[in-house]
Amino acid sequence: MSARPGSYRLTSPVWCVPVILFLAMFFIVPLAANLARTDAPQGWFFYYQKLLYDPYYAGVLWETVKVSLITTLACLVVGYPVSYFMVRHAGRWNALIVFCIVAPLLTSIIMRTFGWRVLLARKGLLNTLLMDIGLVTRPENLADDRIAVYIGLVHVLVPFMVLSITAVLQGVDVKLEESARVLGAGRSRTFLHVTLPLSIEGIATGCILVFVITNGSFLTMLLLGGSKITTLSLLIYQQFTTTEDIGFAAAMGNILILVAVLCFIVQYALLRRRNGS
Amino acid sequence: MTAWRRLFHSGSGATMLLTAYVILFLVFILLPIAAVIVVSFSSASYIAFPLPGFSVAWYAKMAANHDFTSSLTTSIELALVSACIGALLGCPAALALARSRGVGAGLLANLLLAPISVPAIVLGFSLLYFLSALSFGLSFGALLVAHSVVAIPYIVRTVLATYRAVSTNLEESASVLGASRWQVLWHVTLPMVRPGIFAGAMFAVLTSLDNLPLSFFFGTATVNTLPVVMLNYMQNNFDPSIAAISVVQMLIAVATLLVLDRVYGIERLTAA
Repeated sequence: MSARPGSYRLTSPVWCVPVILFLAMFFIVPLAANLARTDAPQGWFFYYQKLLYDPYYAGVLWETVKVSLITTLACLVVGYPVSYFMVRHAGRWNALIVFCIVAPLLTSIIMRTFGWRVLLARKGLLNTLLMDIGLVTRPENLADDRIAVYIGLVHVLVPFMVLSITAVLQGVDVKLEESARVLGAGRSRTFLHVTLPLSIEGIATGCILVFVITNGSFLTMLLLGGSKITTLSLLIYQQFTTTEDIGFAAAMGNILILVAVLCFIVQYALLRRRNGS
Repeated sequence: MTAWRRLFHSGSGATMLLTAYVILFLVFILLPIAAVIVVSFSSASYIAFPLPGFSVAWYAKMAANHDFTSSLTTSIELALVSACIGALLGCPAALALARSRGVGAGLLANLLLAPISVPAIVLGFSLLYFLSALSFGLSFGALLVAHSVVAIPYIVRTVLATYRAVSTNLEESASVLGASRWQVLWHVTLPMVRPGIFAGAMFAVLTSLDNLPLSFFFGTATVNTLPVVMLNYMQNNFDPSIAAISVVQMLIAVATLLVLDRVYGIERLTAA
């Protein structure tokens, strides 16, 4: 019987054993096997060297980083004002905005991508409207273009950014902003020197999240890019469907995981700093 | 009405500008989804605006398409069974970890949450080759394993949060009054964490339904999930049947969320 209140333990550590065995077998071992799979006949670092030094693959690596960075930045710029509005101005409309932001997460990514194709195609809604007002005479197909990929990615990922920033911004005392205003700071000065620095953790969380998810996604590039954008994930998909160079695909996968782990460590460090202070 | 008026008239020019921007943002978010819903009722076999007429022919065509219906069934079965497996494995571990402190417990919790952080395409790829080596690479069983691995983190996360939020007093009282450990678990603990189990399972179901990168590698001619079939179809055709099946899939997800709201409350999801 437990001696002091609050010390009652229903469970024992044994309860963790099944899930540990399951994940060891079907999560850790397969990912570790992936590492072993990149042991090429030409040597351990063959595939990684190919990725880094072959101009085509180095270009793909660079493109992956570029797409993820631009998408992250675009989500931040598009999403921050929405978070600010939700916390400071929305009031009773907040629930409606949250609903509109969460609702797309219930639809499949294929549906959202298809929606953008419907809007951006040569005979799509956008071109039809532009022709009606006479802004465009010869409609362009925007659905297979770099810009379509960015639009699609921001559309899928901006909810994550908004929710991350809103969570932190809710904890920022509005009195700090009011004080700055009373003491003579302008609207933009207050924002840059008070609001923005205080919400930096939400920004960091949102950015890391969006960056990691973009690194791993290929559907948007595949269906909206018109093969104008090739990233690492898309290349893994293509390697699998066409060339079946398993070792090389495994090496690319390991790089993606490495990036994800690095991002996870950065986030962990940020969280510790916040909890420490 | 007063809320609208306050929003527009009490604020300065900047606030009005911000309000207009947020409205534009919401249009951006909802427009592609609305476009798909509209197109699914088109009477044309191609996609062009303005729509020539209204019809439900694409829904009929979709219902008659064996690939769509059988893969939809597979997807739903897969989502439900993998969520159950995830709950059976994840829930006991989450209960054990929720009240544990120390480095080991922290590390273990991180391990249980890790599968959502690994890019699904990499996990799917690795599992395919691993399971093929065990000679059950392409089957419903392989899909089930992959989706269960990803279901575990969702269950663990919500059960950890729910169980940490309840006090040990009730369990302790039951135990003092002579209940066995299993009686405490069944009559006291599980009813308290049930909302957490449900919420986690629903997240797992919703994720599984749309997890194309994970399912992509395991498809066969007879067993395939809906997103994979949709992707294959979409790469060769651009017609409203994809819109119709998308709307059906969305309605399933909405129904799932309504259940979740009943059991758990949507407010608590955004707070987490």
